Amino acid sequence: MTAPNAEGISTRLRRAVRESTLYRSIVRTPHFDSPLGRAQRAFGNVFLHVYPVRVPDTLLRVRSTWRLGFISTVLFGILLVTGTYLMFFYTPAVTMAYGDMQRLRSQVGFGQLIRNTHRWSAHLMVLAVVLHMARVFWHGAYKSPREFNWVIGLALLVITLAYSFTGYLLPWDQLAYWAVTVGSDLVHYVPVIGGWLRSLLLGGVTIGQSALLRFYVLHIAVLTAMFGVVLSVHLWRVRKDGFAPGTIAPRGRDREVRIEGQDQMSRETTLDETSPPRRVRELGRVTSSSAATHERTPTNEVFTWPHLLVRHQVVALLTTCVVIAMGVLFEAPLREHANVNYTPEPAKAPWYFVGIQELLAHFDPVVSGVLAPAALFVILAALPYVDRDPAWEPQARRPLVATIGMVALVALALTVIGAFFRGPGWAFVLPWEHLYFEP
Amino acid sequence: MTPTRRDVLLTGWNVGTGLLATAAAWTTYEALAPLTEGAGSGSLTLGAPDAFRDGTATFVREGHLYVTRIGDELFAISQKCPHLGCRVPFCDTSSRFACPCHGSSYNLAGEHLGGPAPRGMDRHPLAIEDGRVVVDLTQTLDGPPLGSRRFGVPPDGVACESGDAKA
Repeated sequence: MTAPNAEGISTRLRRAVRESTLYRSIVRTPHFDSPLGRAQRAFGNVFLHVYPVRVPDTLLRVRSTWRLGFISTVLFGILLVTGTYLMFFYTPAVTMAYGDMQRLRSQVGFGQLIRNTHRWSAHLMVLAVVLHMARVFWHGAYKSPREFNWVIGLALLVITLAYSFTGYLLPWDQLAYWAVTVGSDLVHYVPVIGGWLRSLLLGGVTIGQSALLRFYVLHIAVLTAMFGVVLSVHLWRVRKDGFAPGTIAPRGRDREVRIEGQDQMSRETTLDETSPPRRVRELGRVTSSSAATHERTPTNEVFTWPHLLVRHQVVALLTTCVVIAMGVLFEAPLREHANVNYTPEPAKAPWYFVGIQELLAHFDPVVSGVLAPAALFVILAALPYVDRDPAWEPQARRPLVATIGMVALVALALTVIGAFFRGPGWAFVLPWEHLYFEP
Repeated sequence: MTPTRRDVLLTGWNVGTGLLATAAAWTTYEALAPLTEGAGSGSLTLGAPDAFRDGTATFVREGHLYVTRIGDELFAISQKCPHLGCRVPFCDTSSRFACPCHGSSYNLAGEHLGGPAPRGMDRHPLAIEDGRVVVDLTQTLDGPPLGSRRFGVPPDGVACESGDAKA
């Protein structure tokens, strides 16, 4: 076939498809490359409603958000897919669970790879969610009118941790059994209702069949339903509350690059993106203060489709590549079958709880296991309601940034010491002499 | 002021919704509340009291417990650390229970010697019937409180490494 002829066929074919009744019935509106067409792409697609039709061009910079919220969502998607695969090969029974894990490793095609990918995605998701929170804090993006979305984000972090904790027990090996023993005995120290809460969680006094089944149902059904609902509200609020000034503000070095980028974009989309000097959306007149929250600062806006969407696709692809590569390179640990009569040394909690375990070595369990984490969450939840100053620049709120930074550093130090510097009997060990750490 | 029809209906609606929510919560709790209260069931009949030697702990696998003797007194001690539930091995060379998780230690009677545990090791009631030791598994008694030691601290011995402790 000659080149011009082939081109002619493909063009004609594409036009024929686009004009066909079937295609038109699926896409609702015809696509044409004009401002209207681009806007209609977003309006006419139910999935793209998650995005605004246009976004500030500074949002296209990676450093505006570091894409951490998006990466968390992608990892959640990967966890749903790999988790569904795993469900085909797993029975939540103490007599079968461990054997199923071994069969997954030896008899199921790519079974171990899927398990590895699921585990590493879970660890990375905890990391991504925490870093996302840190980024939002740094940019002051929790300030009015986004206070409540910060609290919703905190709820998503709690659900993510609950996901990890319930998933931890399912392989029913020594690592799982003793990490969850330590974790659930912590619940015991909650004042008044602790014992009751623990037996409700475990379905008995000890970790046995009913605990395994409860963790399984929580992990697969209850938490997934909760996460789905809460995540939807979170994303909807991001869309409705708008982007925080700290997130999209052009800063220092940005300014030059931005002008350059703007030229590029206006070349692509001539005629349409005449940036309006000031966009005020009148939603009715209530009070002057509530009207002001809907006022946007003049920024250059670009269409989400394709500018932001193509960047998100690249990030999603990279995230997927990273977790699959990790799954190929690193095996998810599977120790011996759970044994009630032998505690392996040292028995460590999952890495994101190991800071609490380290704290337990120094303080009373009620203080370090219950009060300290609870206080941290209460302080974080109250943060946007206490810190009401609209100034978002980290330089303009040094005392707060320093305080929260110190807390974060202490948490990081406790985690690092607990994970890498502790050996049998929780004795101090240098990690380069012997490393007792299993992710 | 007399309540309007709207007030009455609205109150009725809210009360009804509240009752339904309470019923839902109650049903959920009744369904999920654990059936068994005790850790184990029944009792365990072991050998003659003389079979348990002074100064060491005998592990009883079926009951997840140790039987120890100090002089004439016998104790049935739960293997579960009262701190955070790890299984506590007995170390013969240092004559004490040493928890691998957070380093709590106990003497042969399960009394607290050191570490972060809130009390001594929990016990099961122990009786001697027809010349044999019988341990009641349905009951777990809280261990002796801190600072109420009746027996002494064993002389310092070599602490056990992870592998040496009695399984």
